[in-house]
Amino acid sequence: MKINKLNEKLNSLYNGKVSAKEDEYSIILTGELESYDDILNACNMAVDKKSHKYVVNNIKLLNEVKEKIRIPSINDKSLDNAHPDVLVIGGGISGTSILRELSRYDLDLLLVDKECDLANQASSRNDGEIHPGVDLKKGSLKQSYVVRGNRMYDRIAKELYVPFRRIGQYAAFCEWWMFLPLLFVVLERKYICGVDDTRLVGRRTLRKLDSRLNHKFTWAISNPMSGVISPYELTIAFGENAVQNGAKVSLNTYVESMDLKDGVIECVHTNRGNIYPKLVINAAGVFADDVAEMAHDRFYSIHPRKGTIAITDKKANYLINTISSVQSVKKNKNHTKGGGTIRTVHDNLLLGPDAVETRYKENFDTQRNSIDNIMAKQTNTVEGLKRSDIITYFAGVRAATFEEDFILSKGKRTKNLIHVAGIQSPGLTTAPAVALDISKMAVEMLGDVKEKTDFNPYRKGIPHINEMSLEERDAYIKKNPDYGKIICRCEEISKGEIIDALNSNIPVETIDGIKRRLRPGMGRCQGTFCMPLVAKIIAEHKGIEIKDVCKSDEDTKIGIRNKGENE
Amino acid sequence: MNNYNTIVIGGGPAGLACAVKLHKNNVSCLIIEREQYLGGILKQCIHDGFGLQRFKEKLSGPEYAERFVNEVFELNIPFIVNAFVVSIEKKDGYTINVSTVEGIKTYTCENLVLATGCRERTSKQVEIHGSRPKGVYTAGAVQHLVNVDGVIPCKKCVILGSGDIGLIMARRLTLEGVKVEAVYEIMPNPSGLKRNIYQCLVDYDIPLYLSHTVKRTIGYPNLEAVEVMEVDEKLKPIEGTEKIIECDCLIVSVGLIPENELAGRIGVLSDARAKGARCDLDFETNVEHVYTCGNATHVNDLVDYVSESGEVVADAIRDRNDSERKLIDIEVKGRCAYLVPEMIDVNKKNNKRVMYFRSNKILKNATVTMKVDDKEILRRVYANLRPPEMERIVVDYPELSENSKVVFEIEEAK
Repeated sequence: MKINKLNEKLNSLYNGKVSAKEDEYSIILTGELESYDDILNACNMAVDKKSHKYVVNNIKLLNEVKEKIRIPSINDKSLDNAHPDVLVIGGGISGTSILRELSRYDLDLLLVDKECDLANQASSRNDGEIHPGVDLKKGSLKQSYVVRGNRMYDRIAKELYVPFRRIGQYAAFCEWWMFLPLLFVVLERKYICGVDDTRLVGRRTLRKLDSRLNHKFTWAISNPMSGVISPYELTIAFGENAVQNGAKVSLNTYVESMDLKDGVIECVHTNRGNIYPKLVINAAGVFADDVAEMAHDRFYSIHPRKGTIAITDKKANYLINTISSVQSVKKNKNHTKGGGTIRTVHDNLLLGPDAVETRYKENFDTQRNSIDNIMAKQTNTVEGLKRSDIITYFAGVRAATFEEDFILSKGKRTKNLIHVAGIQSPGLTTAPAVALDISKMAVEMLGDVKEKTDFNPYRKGIPHINEMSLEERDAYIKKNPDYGKIICRCEEISKGEIIDALNSNIPVETIDGIKRRLRPGMGRCQGTFCMPLVAKIIAEHKGIEIKDVCKSDEDTKIGIRNKGENE
Repeated sequence: MNNYNTIVIGGGPAGLACAVKLHKNNVSCLIIEREQYLGGILKQCIHDGFGLQRFKEKLSGPEYAERFVNEVFELNIPFIVNAFVVSIEKKDGYTINVSTVEGIKTYTCENLVLATGCRERTSKQVEIHGSRPKGVYTAGAVQHLVNVDGVIPCKKCVILGSGDIGLIMARRLTLEGVKVEAVYEIMPNPSGLKRNIYQCLVDYDIPLYLSHTVKRTIGYPNLEAVEVMEVDEKLKPIEGTEKIIECDCLIVSVGLIPENELAGRIGVLSDARAKGARCDLDFETNVEHVYTCGNATHVNDLVDYVSESGEVVADAIRDRNDSERKLIDIEVKGRCAYLVPEMIDVNKKNNKRVMYFRSNKILKNATVTMKVDDKEILRRVYANLRPPEMERIVVDYPELSENSKVVFEIEEAK
């Protein structure tokens, strides 16, 4: 669409309140509108895939209360005057997988994240599916990486000691007459898009695979290579393996601003000092456009899209062994498959996610109607699913661009910058493949970089006591009695494992940090029994009082004072 | 010497009473306790009122537990603590693998008693939405923090649910200088014992709002406020009644659920009403030689009955013979929330059997009957029946057969 045509359209819709202009890289919308839906609509109208230009949203929302981004309160100089070769901004799956890939080279690496742990945002708030890529049409960046990424997972999971299972995905339909159209899709995806595990399966095969799937299903697109992994455990594992190979990770570190000179980032100001990197990799998720702005290179916009997920008790896991979802012939306007029912790698069921546009990047509030919608759909996927099986729910925010594709690119105007932005589903699947390419790009940009001879791809993870044979377990306990003391009764986590996590190379000595690494608090009692016990172990380990143990961020101490003390 | 006639899993009030009685009945037994000390949840229940029925004294939780624990010590009843049951295999009796700090230990037994207690429903299970901030706890978790760890978690709290632990924590936190804003209860009637409403709320001027619920939490990473709404008769929130209450802690006390994870793994069925393991009048479950007692069977409101059920099990194990069991279900009718036990082994002598029930509604002058083949064997009229207050009856069953029809009914006064 030509820019004047777009302006005409915007004019007639919004009475001149919004206008568009374009530059070499972007179509930029400015103005002011009364509703966020209108802003989204205007920006979506401006998307022009043929021109390869990105939409930049500079439209103001009338009477808007600006979102207050949570920033760490720490102020120290621990990073001051650091001169890393590469500064990675963002400790999600993208940032950590790139950091790990770069740690193969003889480079000084630093990753910063404003959060108190890795994978605190989208990377812990997703369904953990290693996608087959069957839902993507040819032509997008995400499509070009998805199969490659998927196939890398056996090796990645083994190297990083993260549980991973290929359990297969089934997108199922109720209509008999869908046979031909589906066959067409299957052939197209298999032979043209390269998703070579795609098959069309009938009712009988489906019933054999998963007997409790909706009996009305007639056909399903099957992708046996689809898998499940724990996305936060994987993110942490990438980070830990990178640190093991010499990289540095600094949490609670917020990038405040940058100094540029002649299109080069010279200094990055943070709450922990000034950093002088040779190269910056922007993997800041929903904040990627904000970081781009600081780097004078904002040629795209992120519009946050929230997804809510529910988790069931393990008791309900007899219902399904796969990743399955009911598909409707009607086109789904929301940018998601509408979620599915997934048997997680820890044997809970995961339901969802849905997709709702949100103005706010840190809007993690769940809402009842999201659960209603998820249940309405998933009770059609699996028979016998009950709302009372749900033990928890949470929401995450996808970092979508208006083009709905990844941005994997060198800075357009800024020279020592790489954007890894717009990473949403299937960003977890693509991460290892993207990391390979981005690290190559970075190495090229830095020039004269040697590969290390002593890179160790294997991460020594924490032993999973509850998965061992009795003999193996006994041997572990004999070596360290703490492995015999069970702290979390729902997930059967021992004190020894908790202490191992506290001794890891990216220790996060909080209730949530331990929960994310080992799962105490993720079971059916949701930490009711083990939270005080975990707090006690952390307190003993750190040599602090129990009341000073934090749940997550540094200002979330579980106690305000000891009993008997005055306020 | 890892073979016992009976293994009791759980060293709380049910398991302790059962073990002590077993020993007195000359049955060898071992107690397996997952925590550091015997006593179960009583360790953190430092309020009084325990043991009124049994000892005619008002004891605190730890004092009540101590009486049994002392007996265990005096009688030299074997027990292991810090011991977590990893798996149970069924072959010539039961083989139990236990994780301890000394390694994996294996024990065998003929009879197994599941005295695993109960756990709390969480804020998620009552669909409180929000961003999962710090400051949302169950009443039991706060009780542990305050009474065991000596940690005061907040300045100002809101309590959802008028269950007994919630009420007790309202008083407890008030005494520790925490401002308890209010207790909200979704039902039109309080769900805790009457004495607790008076002793914990009224005496401390803590308001109780009935037909109210907490809909969502506000704030992240710390709780800053909660949104409270009124509900209609169908317990649906009424639009327009939203109130924001500032607080740094939300304590939910919204009910307990029997813990039957181990039971489920060996094929013990749960009761849809009582939520615990289904059992016959000996508290023996559908799985032979596996018994249930205490809060794992149903959630009791008095510890005295918890101990009593453990003793019933101990006597049943003493008297257990190898005659074949023939189980029939007791049919439950009318205003009954649940009846425990739910089954009868008609091959046993079933005279003077202890049973527990609750009504599902507040009833005045309600009639409770037990009929065998339409013949009334028990009839009681209660001036008051309240769901929070469990009732105990002793039923003298006649000779029964496989075809007997046993019906328990609670009728409202017309």
